[in-house]
Amino acid sequence: MIHLMNVIEAAGLSKSYGKDSTLVEALKNVTFSIPQGEFVAIVGASGSGKSTLLHLLGGLDRPTGGAVRIDGEDLYALKESQRAVFRRRKIGFIFQSYNLIPVLNVEENITLPLLLDHRQPDKAYVRELIDTLGLGERRKHLPSELSGGQQQRVAIGRALAYRPAIVLADEPTGNLDSANGREVLELLKLAVRQFHQTVVIISHDMNVAAEADRVLRMQDGRLVSDSRGGVVQ
Amino acid sequence: MNGYGALAGKYLKQQKRRTLLTVVGILLSVALISALGTMGQSMKDNMVDQTIYDYGAYHIGYGEATPELLETLRHHALIKEAGAIRKGALTELAKGYKLELAEATTAGFELAPIHLLKGRFPSAAGEAVVEEWALAQLPGAPGLGGKTELVKPDGTKQAYTIVGILNNQRLNMTYGTGAAYAWMDDAAAMADVPGTRLSAAAIFKRGVDISAHLAEFEKLSPKSFGTNTQLLALKGETADSRLNLSLIVIFSVLIGLVVLSTIAVIYNAFNIAVLERMRHFGLLRTIGATPSQLRGIVFREAGLLALYGIPAGLLVGYGGLWLVLKAMSAAGFSILTFDGFRLTLHAWIIVGSAIVGLLAVLLAAWLPARKASRVSPVDAVRGTGNIVRESYRRVRLPSVLRLLGIEGDMASKNIRRNRSKFRITAFSIVVSITLFIVFHYFAQEAFKVAVNDSRDDQVAFQMLSSFTQTANGNQAGTSPAAVDAFDAQTIADIKALPGVEHVYGRYNMPDAQIYLPSAKLNGEYLSKMGDDVFAKSTLDGKEIRIVPAYTTLYDDERMKQAEPYLIAGTADPAKLSATNGVLIVQQVKPLVIAENKKINLDLSDLKVGDALTLNFGTQEKPLMREVRVGGILSQAPFNPTVLDTQLYVIGTKATYAALLKDVPIETAPNDTALRGLDIALADGADGAPVKQALQRMADQDPSIRLVDFVEEQRQTRQFNLQMKIFIYGFLGVIGLIGSLNIVNTVQTNLMLRRREFGLLQAVGMTLSQLRRMATLEGVWFGVIGAFWGLLLGVGISFLLYRQMNNVEGIPFTFPVTGAVISCVFALGVGLLSVQGPLRKIAKASVVEELREEA
Repeated sequence: MIHLMNVIEAAGLSKSYGKDSTLVEALKNVTFSIPQGEFVAIVGASGSGKSTLLHLLGGLDRPTGGAVRIDGEDLYALKESQRAVFRRRKIGFIFQSYNLIPVLNVEENITLPLLLDHRQPDKAYVRELIDTLGLGERRKHLPSELSGGQQQRVAIGRALAYRPAIVLADEPTGNLDSANGREVLELLKLAVRQFHQTVVIISHDMNVAAEADRVLRMQDGRLVSDSRGGVVQ
Repeated sequence: MNGYGALAGKYLKQQKRRTLLTVVGILLSVALISALGTMGQSMKDNMVDQTIYDYGAYHIGYGEATPELLETLRHHALIKEAGAIRKGALTELAKGYKLELAEATTAGFELAPIHLLKGRFPSAAGEAVVEEWALAQLPGAPGLGGKTELVKPDGTKQAYTIVGILNNQRLNMTYGTGAAYAWMDDAAAMADVPGTRLSAAAIFKRGVDISAHLAEFEKLSPKSFGTNTQLLALKGETADSRLNLSLIVIFSVLIGLVVLSTIAVIYNAFNIAVLERMRHFGLLRTIGATPSQLRGIVFREAGLLALYGIPAGLLVGYGGLWLVLKAMSAAGFSILTFDGFRLTLHAWIIVGSAIVGLLAVLLAAWLPARKASRVSPVDAVRGTGNIVRESYRRVRLPSVLRLLGIEGDMASKNIRRNRSKFRITAFSIVVSITLFIVFHYFAQEAFKVAVNDSRDDQVAFQMLSSFTQTANGNQAGTSPAAVDAFDAQTIADIKALPGVEHVYGRYNMPDAQIYLPSAKLNGEYLSKMGDDVFAKSTLDGKEIRIVPAYTTLYDDERMKQAEPYLIAGTADPAKLSATNGVLIVQQVKPLVIAENKKINLDLSDLKVGDALTLNFGTQEKPLMREVRVGGILSQAPFNPTVLDTQLYVIGTKATYAALLKDVPIETAPNDTALRGLDIALADGADGAPVKQALQRMADQDPSIRLVDFVEEQRQTRQFNLQMKIFIYGFLGVIGLIGSLNIVNTVQTNLMLRRREFGLLQAVGMTLSQLRRMATLEGVWFGVIGAFWGLLLGVGISFLLYRQMNNVEGIPFTFPVTGAVISCVFALGVGLLSVQGPLRKIAKASVVEELREEA
């Protein structure tokens, strides 16, 4: 396999909440790196620290210790507002509960990250993206007029709108039936192939893990295994 | 969508009801601010106009001027214009009427308060203007364009063409001396004409600091120098600028309160809008919105709301005022007694209200915007859980609410669990209540100052016997034996006329002095007015002060009108007559030099039953009489000109008959004989037929004159009514803003907790328990708000009172009505406003509420 440049690097990452008797260590000294174009699944029991790790990778939260580099940039050396700008350009998020803006229609939701950057979206690309997502007929619909699967596809579209280097997905299929879940997964894999993007996905679903290039297993805030193509490294 | 900023508009469109509510809040506030400013400014403008109308446009005047003085004024560098008026001999007319023809220079006509009803001012020799009622008394009753012969000030006669008719003056009508003016050229004004009196008046050039130069002009003729005090005060040109300053303070406090309540309304609206969308804001953060972009969205929303609310508010403010004024003029009202009240659109008020409104909106949006920008993206994406982080605290203070069972217990905990939310809610309610109390108080007091409360405004006609000229010094001692000028039959006839409500008798009483024991004088009065305000003397070895009495005879009809003003004792004429009793008014309002204002004071400390010694003679030849204080009135029901150094002594005919027994005819020429009648009309009665009937009676008796006050009386009443309309209009809007605020606040509190209510229902709280809990919360907020609102409202009212006291000395009265209305209102609104959200909660399913994104 060709060795690619690492797009995500986590070094000694830890996160704790509360203090003294109420201290909870959600993440303990996690280190790993992900090269560009890889489809990675993070699995683990609930409370194992998966979501915390994802939030830290996306720059949503602040680690108690350690560092995260995305595309060579030290995420937590940036100021809050710089990090926000970095996030909208380099990172796409997909959540279990879609989290679409209810007052915006499909197209507007998808182009929102661009608009936040005061940029006019590339119409042809947006159209292609919407068609790829199978939402061509629903361009002007509001989220409330869409099914769960369609809503999640909009969320994927939004994550891909800026052609970010990495896409972080937190249980993207958790609220979907298996057919819709498969479709979402296919779209994410397509993104990896077509746009050479890096996808990190959290899931309980073993099917999802099976589709991944690489699986990181979390337990009690620690990374306990890292396997490629079923091989533990 | 061309940019993320358009999100703001989309949110507003989606939340139509809340957007509307907020826009209405902004609209009402801006409308109120602009209306207040405009009313204040217009009232001041019109007060200036009215003062010029009443007192003339002149700044300084000299009652007796020499030609040299006039010359000096004319050529003075600071003086824009100087006019002169010459008065002297009178023209004798029929029925004892007189006409005083004065000669005025062109500038004299401009500066003096002379008002044309028709025609024009004289501008050449041989032209004259005459008061309307006096014109009818001239031989042949000439009209406009007619000719008549009049006596000039120097006593010679001249023929004049009537080129204009002047408005009637009440005082002139009562005294029977009409006014007329002829023109004189400037050279004639400079001549020295024996037997005439020349007065001069002048107006300063624009931009002259008048107050700085007054002393200099006073020196020219110190004895006859005078200023147009009212006009100068309004222009802020008196040595004492308190009037203007006080007006500014009063209006600033009122507008400040309105602004505060605007901020509260808008803050609440934004706060709830932001709290409800915290998840969305968090989400925007995850996809890369910076905190300042989120702030921008909230501010943009605020800006959009202001964009609609402010122009609409200005429109409603001016449109409303305009409509009210238009409707009033259409109904034949003259606005606030100002002829031709102008609604002046001052650009600074429009711009000022818009800026104040915008600042209020942005200020109100500031905290919610900050809150939105600080949202944690992690919380937003965590999926479940409450994104609105509340810092809960335990309440240690026991509350009375706890006595009301578990619901009350929970309500008391809910109210205080979040300090900042509690403060904001309470603040909104407190501001609303404060605003209402202060406005109500101010309106009430302003109304009291502006409107004179007396029975006079009903009197539409007077029938006067022309032998009662003694007061004017014209026919002293010539009256025959005192006989009633009107017999019982005439009075009964007048009473029977349709529309006539009361016929009051007029009697002329001789002057008298009260020999008041020094101990009965009010100490405060004495210390403020100086110990030498009344002459000292002794009576039966005791020290007394000689206080002038304002002796007045009231017939039974008048006595009935005294009843409402009675503070102590009785106003029953039979009882007063039987006990030799009189009514007194001991409250006076003298000008206190030391404080440079008029103050309400009690002159004496007399009590019902006290003896009162009256002297109808002189100090050398006393004619002592004794009466008893039978009753004390707060003010005289008629002719309520407040006295400064006199006591009203009001007695019945029987009492005065006994008092005047053996008083020589020179002192009391009229004795207790009826000398005239005041005829009061019922509300809305048509004065014209009554006037015709009275005129016929007057025509039959050459000694009887009819004086017509219908027009004046109508205007006074309209003024009272208009003041009420304005005041209640303003209060209505204030009440609306206040309620909007309370509704918004209380509802915010409930709607934000729908999830929590779902939980409570899930664990078994019944809907009625929930309702009881929420209702108790609403009411309790009303109670807390009422408590602080009352304190603040009364405090600020007192502050306003101190300002108004600078203008007009009045006692402070606790604003009971405003306090009661606002508190009851607050409780009611608190109670009612929880019902809407409760209905919504009742309709929704528990599961839905649990799922509700907080």
